[in-house]
Amino acid sequence: MKLFCFGCVWSSLGSVKGHGDCGAESLHSLYCQWATIRIEKGVKKPQPQMLKIPAANGIIERDETPMEKEIAGLHRMEFRFSDIFYFCRKGFEAIVEDEVTQRFSSEELVSWNLLTRTNVNFHYVSLRLTVVWVIGVMVRYCFLLPLRFTLAAIGITSMIVGTTVVGQLPNGSLKNYLSEVVHLTCSRILVRALSGTIHYHNKENKPQKGGICVANHTSPIDAIILTNDGCYAMVGQVHGGLMGVIQRATVKACPHVWFERSEIKDRHLVTKRLREHVADKNKLPILIFPEGTCINNTSVMMFKKGSFEIGGTIYPVAIKYDPQFGDAFWNSSKYNIVSYLLRIMTSWAIVCHVWYMPPMVRKEGEDAVQFANRVRSAIARQGGLTELPWDGGLKRAKVKDSFKEEQQKNYSKMLVRNGSQGNLPAGTESD
Amino acid sequence: MGSAQSVPPEMRALAERTGFTSEQIEQLHRRFKQLNHNRKTIRKEDFDTIPDLEFNPIRARIVHAFFDKRNLRKAPAGLAEEINFEDFLTIMSYFRPIEMDMDEERLESFRKEKLKFLFHMYDADYDGIITLQEYKNVLDELMSGNPHLEKESLRAIAEGAMLEAASACMARTGPDEVYEGITFEDFLKVWKGIDIETKMHVRFLTMEAIAHCY
Repeated sequence: MKLFCFGCVWSSLGSVKGHGDCGAESLHSLYCQWATIRIEKGVKKPQPQMLKIPAANGIIERDETPMEKEIAGLHRMEFRFSDIFYFCRKGFEAIVEDEVTQRFSSEELVSWNLLTRTNVNFHYVSLRLTVVWVIGVMVRYCFLLPLRFTLAAIGITSMIVGTTVVGQLPNGSLKNYLSEVVHLTCSRILVRALSGTIHYHNKENKPQKGGICVANHTSPIDAIILTNDGCYAMVGQVHGGLMGVIQRATVKACPHVWFERSEIKDRHLVTKRLREHVADKNKLPILIFPEGTCINNTSVMMFKKGSFEIGGTIYPVAIKYDPQFGDAFWNSSKYNIVSYLLRIMTSWAIVCHVWYMPPMVRKEGEDAVQFANRVRSAIARQGGLTELPWDGGLKRAKVKDSFKEEQQKNYSKMLVRNGSQGNLPAGTESD
Repeated sequence: MGSAQSVPPEMRALAERTGFTSEQIEQLHRRFKQLNHNRKTIRKEDFDTIPDLEFNPIRARIVHAFFDKRNLRKAPAGLAEEINFEDFLTIMSYFRPIEMDMDEERLESFRKEKLKFLFHMYDADYDGIITLQEYKNVLDELMSGNPHLEKESLRAIAEGAMLEAASACMARTGPDEVYEGITFEDFLKVWKGIDIETKMHVRFLTMEAIAHCY
C-alpha cells in the first residue's frame, strides 16, 4: 500500500502488517541473541534507597520509584518515547536540588531566632527583636571572643610546654601517665575556650588500647571533642606553622602518627605503620576520620576503605552537633581556618552529643568495603544522620563516568527485556 | 517564624506567569544563585557542578533543553548562550505539577506544553519533525554505556519504534508523499488518553510541610 522511506531494509514490502511480520522475525532473533548475553551480575538499583529525613533546605519531594517499575508499566509503543521521561525527570530533580552539593553547605534552620548564627533566613519581625539580636552580637564579639581567645592561647601554650617537658622523661609508665594528664587538661581548656558542652553517651564503650576509633567528620575541632574524654593517638599529615609546632611537641610525649606529605601517597607505608601501632596493645587507640573531608553533619558519606584494612577492633563513634547554638561545619572551600575559628569563637556555644558504640570486627568473608559500609550505617543510625553512598571527594572532583554507564546499562537491559517480552507471545524469556 | 515580607511586584508577575508560589520562587532563586556562583546568568558549564546529573545518560540533552530558544519561547530555533533567572523559571515551569483546580482548557494547554518540551528534546535540528535518525540518536545516548549491545540491535529497536509510530499516522500522508518523520500533531496523537502528567512533574514541598516535619 505505501512505501515507507526510512532508508531501511524492508522498503520493498507491502502493507504495514506485512512489514510487521517480517520485521518482527529479525527483531525477534536479535532480541533473543541479546537477551542471552549476561551483562553483569549484581545490577545495582539506579537510585540507592535510603532513609530520608527532610533536610531543612530540601525543596522537592523526590520520586523514589525505581527505573524498572516506572518504565515497564507503559504500553510497548509509547514506552519507547516515554523512556526519556524518567531520565528527564531525574535530571530536573537533580538540577533543582542535589543531595551532594547540599551536604557541603551549612545546614540552615527553618526558623530564625535569637540563637541563629547566620542571618540568611532573616525576616524582619519587629524593632525590639532586632535590637536584642544586635545586643547578642555585641556580647558575642566583644565579651565572649576575647575571653575565649585568651583561654585558647593558654591552652595551646600549656599543651606545647607540657608535652615538651614530659617528652624529656624516659619512656615508662610515669611518662605515659603524665602525658595523659597533660593532654586531657589541655583539651579541656581548649573545649572551654570554645564554650563546648559535650554530652557523652555509653561511656562503657569507650575505645580501648590497641583499637581504632572511627568517627564522622564535621570540623577540625572533632578531634578536640574526642580527646576531651580520653587519650588517642592522632593520625595525620605534618603541617607547617603553629599546627606543626604542636604536632612536633606532642609526638614527643605520646606516640602520635604523623606522616610526611610524600608518605601519605604511599598507601602501603601508611597501612604498615598503622598496623604496627595497632599491634602494640600498650599503645593508645588511633583516631581516624574515614570520610576524608568535612561534611555538614546532616549525613555520613562514603568511608574510605583504607582505615578498615588495617585490622584490629573498630570502635565507632557518632558525633552530632546541635545546630541551634553554633554551626560547627567547616566549609573549607569557602572559609579558611582562621575565619572558621573566628566564627566558632563568636558563636554562643558548641553543643554536641557523642555516642560511643560497641566495638565491631570484620566478619569472615566480608571485604573492607562492606565492613566500612556496615560501620557507616551504624554510625548514621546512632547519630540520626542520613547515609549517602557518595564520596566526600566530590566536594572538589567530578563524578566518575562509571556511574553514568551503570545507568545506561540498566536501561538497555530493561529495554530489551521488555521488547522481547512483547515480541515473544509464547516463548520463554532467556534471562 | 517571621511574618511574610511584602512581595515585590516583579516577583508577583513572575509567579503569575510561571505558576510557582513566591516561596518556591525564592527557593529556586537560591538554587539559581548556587548554580551560577552569584553571577547574573547561567551558562552550560555551570551544570557541570551537579554530581547527581552526571549520573544521567541524557545529561547533555537536558542541559540543552535549558538553552533551547524554543523552550524559552524566544525564537523558533537556536540555542541561547546564557539564561537569566526568568528563563530558568520558564523552563522549570514545564515540570510544574498540575493543580486540582485547573479547568479542562488549562489542563489541555498544560499537557500540550509538556509534550512540546519533550518533542523539542527529540527534535534536535529544529525542523519540527522527529526523524528516524533523531530518534536513534536519543536511543544511542540512553544506551551507549552498554558495550554488549551491537549497533544492529540498536538500529532494529529504533526502526521498530518508528514503524509503530508511523502506522498510527498512516492515514494522514498522501499516496505519493514521503514519510519523513513524526510531526508534533502525530506526537500528540500518540499520547492521547495517556496520563503523562504524573510522569513529567517535580513535586515541590511547601515550607509549612518542612517546618512541620522538623
